[in-house]
Amino acid sequence: MSTKAGAAPSTYSPSTQKKKPQKPTFNHSNAVRSDGRGFYQCRPAYLRTGAVNAAGGSAYAEFGNTKVIVSVSYNPESVTVSVGQYLCTLFWFILHTGTSQASGSPLRFGPRESKKAMMYSNVGRLNCSVSYTPFATQIRGQGSEHKEFSSVLHKALEGAILLESFPKTTVDVFALVMESGGSDLPVIISCASLALADAGIMMYDMVAAVSLSSLGPNLIIDPLLEEECCQDGSLMFTYMPSRSEVTQLAITGEWTTPKIHEGMELCVDASKKLADIMRSCLKEADSPSNE
Amino acid sequence: MGSSMASSDLSADMEIDAFRRLFPVQFYERHFVKSLRPDARTLNAARDTTVALGAVSSANGSALVKIGCTTMLAAVKMEIMTPSTESPDEGNLAIEFHMPPICSPLVRPGRPADAAPVISKQLADTILSSGMINLKELCLVSGKAAWMAYLDICCLDADGALFDAALLSAVAAFSNLRIPVVSLNDEGRVFIMSEEMEEGKSKREPVNNELRKLTLSNIPFSLSCVLHKNYILADPTAEEESIIETSVTVDCVALTKQRVQELQQILSEAISDMEVD
Repeated sequence: MSTKAGAAPSTYSPSTQKKKPQKPTFNHSNAVRSDGRGFYQCRPAYLRTGAVNAAGGSAYAEFGNTKVIVSVSYNPESVTVSVGQYLCTLFWFILHTGTSQASGSPLRFGPRESKKAMMYSNVGRLNCSVSYTPFATQIRGQGSEHKEFSSVLHKALEGAILLESFPKTTVDVFALVMESGGSDLPVIISCASLALADAGIMMYDMVAAVSLSSLGPNLIIDPLLEEECCQDGSLMFTYMPSRSEVTQLAITGEWTTPKIHEGMELCVDASKKLADIMRSCLKEADSPSNE
Repeated sequence: MGSSMASSDLSADMEIDAFRRLFPVQFYERHFVKSLRPDARTLNAARDTTVALGAVSSANGSALVKIGCTTMLAAVKMEIMTPSTESPDEGNLAIEFHMPPICSPLVRPGRPADAAPVISKQLADTILSSGMINLKELCLVSGKAAWMAYLDICCLDADGALFDAALLSAVAAFSNLRIPVVSLNDEGRVFIMSEEMEEGKSKREPVNNELRKLTLSNIPFSLSCVLHKNYILADPTAEEESIIETSVTVDCVALTKQRVQELQQILSEAISDMEVD
């Protein structure tokens, strides 16, 4: 939409201390990818908070052609349950014990609050949902919820949030992919963590996510859609830099140990830089000159 | 009128925000008496409107429209289909309106918003009956191939006047539409040419080289108004819509004429901006 304002760097490519000679394989001659990037170069990141007015907190992320909006709603009053409702819940619980509990399928009826009351806990709960617009992908889709991404997003974020700081309540994180241009999931995760920070939800640290593709002998960071299609393996890495903690690590395909090492080093460095960009985005939004 | 008495007594020593939440109708009526609204608009003024064309590159035409805080993203995707036997030289148009959970705290995943199908139907009726798009222009080879135009509108932020914003974004997306070049293959089937093929690496002749843009005639614009007692409010926000009990009117009121001119101005500015870039 527009270029990033301010002095903050808008790219977060990792520094490669031991740059190995690249064997020009695949269709990249001189280690240049189809969009002109090097193998270890990330797309410029544009991040902005406050994208959705109706939400408690929200963020917009644009990494190349990947465009994502995340909104967070945090409403403590929605979980207060009256006695009558609680009895209903108990009744409902007896009716349904053992059937829908484990399946985790969305409820077709019954008040939403009762489900939460049923699983009473003195720590907060996180509810994540990722959906695509029908025009996000090259072939027109249904624009439905992406169940797999929703659960990965949940796992990546729950380790970072201080859930015990809001007992009995639920935080909803809704992500919408407006355009899919590759590396969707890391962009969603980074954007969601920014939206959580915008909503004022306490976290140990920002979660920055980066993905890698393994293509033949090469590793490429922040892959595009067409690169993801022909990858041999992928690595998705979410990281909290100030605590040096990994919240989620997903590796698919065939990887050798040295390759995983190399990939992790690249990811750590890139996520640190991405977290700096996210931090400066929050500071920018907070500074009075921007108001 | 016990409550209104109570509110006027309390309002003196109550904070504005608390008053707004507890007695919303009285809060608004006090503004209306002075011909003003809480966001400093006059009663018949619309909110600031912006149109950005080409927001999504995976679609053939797209637009992002903001009316105040209400944000709509519309995109058109073109697909080739076989026309029906009743109208062999006409393409088709499918319009859908979506309200994903991000747009409003009232929408929950797995439970679609009540308003979405209503607006979807209204949009389809308005666009098809206005004759904005000549379906004959969507024909490629008579009886064999025609365009199916999928128009999807996503509400990104719902803050009232959803139909106005959706219609404006639909019109803007169509004005941004670039129809892909198609060609005939050896079996006589129509297919979409890729970009390299367009640059002359293919010996096939494109079928529709001239017709790359649709001509839009009779462009519809709308203005939603709500009526509260004697006051007509143009372009209401979500809060105003929720409080005011009387119905919503769309289209062809005297106020709309002025608004149509404004919107035409905004749209043509956006289009000319795109052409300069």
